[in-house]
Amino acid sequence: MKNREEILDRLFRSAIAPVPPKEMPFGFDTRILALVRASSPNGSPIIALFAQRAAVIALAVIALASVGVYRASTSNDDLPAEYTMADNAIQSSLGE
Amino acid sequence: MDDDEHARALVDRARDGDDDAARELIRQLYPMVAKIVRGYRPRGAAEEDLSQMIFVKVFQNLAQYSGKVPISHWVSRIAVNTCRNQLTAEKARPELRHADLSEEQAAMLENLATSDEALSPDRKLAARDLVEKLLAMLKPMERLVIDMLYLQERSVAEIQKVTGWTAAAIKIKAFRARQKLRRQIGGLL
Repeated sequence: MKNREEILDRLFRSAIAPVPPKEMPFGFDTRILALVRASSPNGSPIIALFAQRAAVIALAVIALASVGVYRASTSNDDLPAEYTMADNAIQSSLGE
Repeated sequence: MDDDEHARALVDRARDGDDDAARELIRQLYPMVAKIVRGYRPRGAAEEDLSQMIFVKVFQNLAQYSGKVPISHWVSRIAVNTCRNQLTAEKARPELRHADLSEEQAAMLENLATSDEALSPDRKLAARDLVEKLLAMLKPMERLVIDMLYLQERSVAEIQKVTGWTAAAIKIKAFRARQKLRRQIGGLL
């Protein structure tokens, strides 16, 4: 009777079998990509980049519009004196 | 362009959202991941489910891949850690008794213990079945080490690359696993 160590080694050697590389299951790659997209909050990186750029442009437009509105609202108070005089003249001529 | 550079180019394209590159990367890495998953011999989780889980993790973390090590090493570590976490709760099977062996397995074991003759193809099949049963009694990490060392005939250095474990840890796991297996074989003879 051989010792257990030797039996174990022979058992391992006998159990070695050339395992053919297992083929990837059909549709496995598609499933992975779909799962990754589903788990990602922004979907694909391209969509995320597009959304980021759109957000920056929208912020810039809002900022410019705000500045425009502010300037328009404040400029009415500082009308040059000649405009005020002209307005008065027009109003008085209409009143007559 | 060598394999590593090609894989790196695929990673860059996959990061930029190129689906074809991502699919090609999965096709290239699948055999390696399948081998690691099979080494763990999952019982509760199917091999395909575990592989799927590993690839999802790989793509979720692709932005963190620095490119300092080959992509295959990076993926193999994710595979090992995922399998380990998944199978940690799995309990080892109870001990095998002589009555659990098939007639062919008992004869094959008798043959191994008493003669130097090479086993016939039928007996080799019985040997593979018995090894599967014996490995099922080990812890998942011990199973992986024994599978890689003795059934895939990989060196300790290669296992280190795949698992990220130290050589000492691998040798200790192999030693403990062999101790358990020796004890089991003693009970079967």
